Amino acid sequence: MAPSKPDLPQGTLDLLVLKTVALEPLHGYAIAQRLQQISRDVVIVQQGTLYPALHRLEKRGLLKAEWKPSDTGRDAKYYRLTRAGRVQLDEERANWKRLTEAVGFILSEGES
Amino acid sequence: MTLFNRLFRRSRLDRELDAELHDHLERRIADLRREGIGDAEARRRAAAEFGGVDQAKEYCRDVRGTRWLGDLTTDVRYGLRILAHSKTFAVVAILSLALGIGANTAIFTLVNSLLLRTLPVTAPDRLVLIDGEWTNPIWEQVKARQSQLFAGATAWSFNKLDMSRGGQAQPVEALVASGEFFDVLGVQPILGRPFTTANDRRGAGADLAVALVSYAFWQRQFGGAVDVVGRTVSLNRVAFTVIGVMPPEFLGPAIGRGFDVLVPLHAVTVLDKEGTGGLDSRSYWWLDITARLKPGQSIEQATASLRGVQPQIREATLPTDWPEVHLKEYLRDGLKVEPAGQGPSWTRSQFEQPVVTIMIVVALVLLIACANIANLMLARASGRTHELTMRMALGASRGRLARQLLTESLLLSLAGAALGLVFAKWGSALLVAQFSSDRDPLTLDLTLDWRVLAFTAAIAILTALLFGVAPAMTTRRLTPMDALKEQGRGRAGGRHRLTGPLVVAQVALSLVLVVGAGLFLRTFAKLATIDLGFDRDPVLLVKLDTQRSQVTDDQRAELYQRLATAAAAVPGVERASASLLTPVSGQGWNNAFDIPGKPDLSFRERLAWLNAITPGWHKVYGTKLVAGRDFTDADRAGAPLVVIVNEAYVRRFLPPGSALGRIVQRTEGRPDQPPPPPLEIVGVVEDSAYRSVRDELPATVYLPMAQSEEVFKGGAISVRAAVASPATLVRSLTDALSAVDPDVSLSFQPLRDQVDARLARERVMAMLSGFFGGLALLLAGVGLYGVTSYGVNLRRAEIGVRMALGADVTRVLRLVLGRAAWLVVAGTAIGAGLSLWLAKYVATLLYGLEPRDVATFTGAVALMAGVGTVAAFLPAWRASRIDPVEVLREG
Repeated sequence: MAPSKPDLPQGTLDLLVLKTVALEPLHGYAIAQRLQQISRDVVIVQQGTLYPALHRLEKRGLLKAEWKPSDTGRDAKYYRLTRAGRVQLDEERANWKRLTEAVGFILSEGES
Repeated sequence: MTLFNRLFRRSRLDRELDAELHDHLERRIADLRREGIGDAEARRRAAAEFGGVDQAKEYCRDVRGTRWLGDLTTDVRYGLRILAHSKTFAVVAILSLALGIGANTAIFTLVNSLLLRTLPVTAPDRLVLIDGEWTNPIWEQVKARQSQLFAGATAWSFNKLDMSRGGQAQPVEALVASGEFFDVLGVQPILGRPFTTANDRRGAGADLAVALVSYAFWQRQFGGAVDVVGRTVSLNRVAFTVIGVMPPEFLGPAIGRGFDVLVPLHAVTVLDKEGTGGLDSRSYWWLDITARLKPGQSIEQATASLRGVQPQIREATLPTDWPEVHLKEYLRDGLKVEPAGQGPSWTRSQFEQPVVTIMIVVALVLLIACANIANLMLARASGRTHELTMRMALGASRGRLARQLLTESLLLSLAGAALGLVFAKWGSALLVAQFSSDRDPLTLDLTLDWRVLAFTAAIAILTALLFGVAPAMTTRRLTPMDALKEQGRGRAGGRHRLTGPLVVAQVALSLVLVVGAGLFLRTFAKLATIDLGFDRDPVLLVKLDTQRSQVTDDQRAELYQRLATAAAAVPGVERASASLLTPVSGQGWNNAFDIPGKPDLSFRERLAWLNAITPGWHKVYGTKLVAGRDFTDADRAGAPLVVIVNEAYVRRFLPPGSALGRIVQRTEGRPDQPPPPPLEIVGVVEDSAYRSVRDELPATVYLPMAQSEEVFKGGAISVRAAVASPATLVRSLTDALSAVDPDVSLSFQPLRDQVDARLARERVMAMLSGFFGGLALLLAGVGLYGVTSYGVNLRRAEIGVRMALGADVTRVLRLVLGRAAWLVVAGTAIGAGLSLWLAKYVATLLYGLEPRDVATFTGAVALMAGVGTVAAFLPAWRASRIDPVEVLREG
């Protein structure tokens, strides 16, 4: 059995997805691969979680989806960050930074 | 992913989702193979990593937020399949709902067009009516001041004209309106042009002989021809040029009363031979005045400004021939305006109460039908326990099952509503035709507008909830375990605790309707058979219009006598006489009489009805002469003035002793007029109805036509037929009367029809309440039968055992009938109480009986008991025929 993977905190997946597609439009599989690679196999997203998240973000207007020809020759559904998505990403990133710092302070208290 | 896509392109979205997930899998497989893994293994691993594809899809669909729609489609499909399996149930339920919803929609269509809709004109809420009916001199006063008082004003009236060119009359309903009509109301013809104040003035001559036609008349009379403008239509033998067609939705300025032609107000001067049209008469009250408020002007302000000029208007229009007392009242009587967005209220006030009463009746019928279907559904829900618990065991939630059951209810009620709309369209037209009579035609716009459709949709949903909620609630008591315990016997539900109360409610409501039906039927029966003091069946009325006749006024009475003589000579005619008025025609003529010895009676208390007749008139009607003599040819102008009075007159006005030979005198008019001549009573006749069939037979005075000073152009020949069917005489009478004077126009009506027309409201009330009362009784009977019969089926085993243990037929019957009897007794008691309370609200619609009429109540209770007994006895009898051996074997 593989070493236990930490669960993603609630709402984090959205932030990670937004960040991943911020550079270039990607299809679902690429997003999953990218997350796994960059996190060095720590973040492994189940398909049953990823696609609903993608569709939810699309419905909220943070992502825009488009069917485009891909490397396989088949059309693939590419997700691209919208202007609203970028604003949201910046906001969430700032929030995340504040939160992790705060959590870090709390956890390191008394250790020094 | 637009909302549109989400709702309507679900299959496309699903395909895309498939493609997207499939793409993911393929890429994973390709990656795995690049790592050197074999094809089969790669596929297996990819699939395993991916997890449940369907689950992923479901999550994605949840994100869309339109899951309910998919469920709904499934529910509807499943519901349709279930209903298709139980066709009898579905058909019975849908038909009873169609009848219930249809009846409600039909009556609501009437309520809508009669009470809710406004006139199809510009800004109807800014229209006002000057309360009352007015003379033309008054209108001319208002007209001269209209820009000061209002934004504009118009006067109009209805007039029955004849469009035949001779012989038998062809009546047309004419709307007579002043030239301001189109501007004030804001309506324009769809074809041609309107008339204006430029045409509509005195002495405009040929310019006045113009007419616009209603849309319906255009279709009926001209087949909708586009070149109708310029054609002519004959009105009272005068050729009128058609100048336009009014829009289809414009049925006239008054709700309920339609028109065929619309002519200028001053056209009345070309319609009668004298060319006056009563325009200068100060006591001919025939006009309605509609005005449009100025911007920002309130109704109170309009009334105030009208009151400001009232003295001038009244002074300038004082009736010349009125006694002093009346003139004082005339000057005092305050003018006021009222809202006119719905037109004047005479039709509304006449039909409002009956229509609202019937609306309540049909609502109750629908409630009873709902209770019936709810009971059927409950019984079915118990029968479906196995199916429902099985679905629960397979993962359906209780809420989901309840939704499924509600969907089925909704399907039923929507199907019922759709069918009901068809039924309503036909029913409302039929109803209007029934309310309508020749004298009071009722014309209503019965198109199904948004209000009607919204109403139907609302009651469809409401009924679905009413009969669907109880069955849906049964799912609360189910557990998946039931699926295992019951081997498809479908008895888990047992008898629902609601079925009893539902039947009681049905019985109670039905009793209310049966009592109502009884009251209205008895009212109609009393009125239809009431002794009016004359024979209605053998008499045929020939209404005359002698306006275009060439005879001079002093020859007119003689013309009527000649017409009567000619009619009497027609084979099949027993006798014939002429009169100014006919009984219960709606017209009347009254005068105050000087009452010797009672000088303190008020003017109103001294009023008696009058009629001018030729000799033999009472014999035509079968009204007996009780003393003295009939008129003879000798009672002509110049001879001593004589009258015949009826017994009511003698009782009311004369001192005891013989009436014959007494002198009576009409009350003096104004001092400057000659006093009325003394009249000698030569005969006394039995009482008979004059204007109303409901009121007490009134005091009446008959004058010989030959001695009457009145100049009249109407009148009628009353013919007593010797043949069974008086209507067969129409042809030969037309020939005989036209031979006397071809310029007289004739219209025929059996006296019975004239009487019946006065009973239209009572007839419709009796007919509808009888029909719906019967329906309610049937529904309650079916409900009781269903519940009892179902109870017997449930207790089959128990009854079988009882019988095996020695219970005889009577015991079994008593067992089953006992419960049914309780339901009927409880329902009847509640219903009787409810009826006693409700009856007082219909008191004004009744005649000749108390709202709490004992016979009606007793009859209704007996009828309900009878129906209840039959409905319960059938299943009880079946129970007593249960073969114990068979039952024990089954067990």
